[in-house]
Amino acid sequence: MPIIVNLDVMMARRKMSLNELSEKVELTLSNLSILKTGKAKAIRFSTLEAICKALDCQPGDILEYTCDEP
Amino acid sequence: MLRILHILAWILFVGLGVEAGGFIVCAFFAAVNPAIVKNLWLWQDVDLSGLFSYPQHFLEITILMSITGVLKAVLFYLVVTILYDKKLDSPQPFSPQLGRFLSRIAYLSLLIGLCCRAGSAYAGYLAAQGIKLPDIRYLRLDADDVWLFMGLTLLVIAQIFKRGVAIQSENELTV
Repeated sequence: MPIIVNLDVMMARRKMSLNELSEKVELTLSNLSILKTGKAKAIRFSTLEAICKALDCQPGDILEYTCDEP
Repeated sequence: MLRILHILAWILFVGLGVEAGGFIVCAFFAAVNPAIVKNLWLWQDVDLSGLFSYPQHFLEITILMSITGVLKAVLFYLVVTILYDKKLDSPQPFSPQLGRFLSRIAYLSLLIGLCCRAGSAYAGYLAAQGIKLPDIRYLRLDADDVWLFMGLTLLVIAQIFKRGVAIQSENELTV
């Protein structure tokens, strides 16, 4: 998929563990793991808002678009 | 409720399996030694005595009856397995397994309908040739239109179900 989730990068920059983020955004570990590993098919604005708030970043810091076509 | 359905499906599966087995044995002996089929024919309500002097026709009609019987038994075997796996009372009913089950029983119903249609057409042809045959329902080749209608309806439901599976999967992967 051309949308890459850089959640792990942002978590590493903020030195935040998955458990800590899970508690702050009130999302289950399994759902956060789905998002982190890029298996998620969609993300709710409310989830994105909570993650941005917890990591003090912009949506663009978490999501990145790369063109697959040559 | 599902338990009762499970028991009913088992009873129907065993009954249809026995019936299909009987038809297969008759078809086998009709192919190997037509002379002893008269002694083997145990179904009192299916009087195929008119066909005993035409071994080739007898074999063909018993083959059609066997195929239809086996397909019906397989259909109920699928129902038994899906009820045994308890996939119907799952909190997430739109599973790919259930989708495959629906598609399979749809195709099986269509096949049964086609076999019944072929069988009844063949029986009609034999009757037109002056061979005495019992009513088509005694040959278990009736209700072809019902099977075809059921198959087509199930095929439509299976397609809708496939979309349901995709939506559920998407919903599960939305965070």
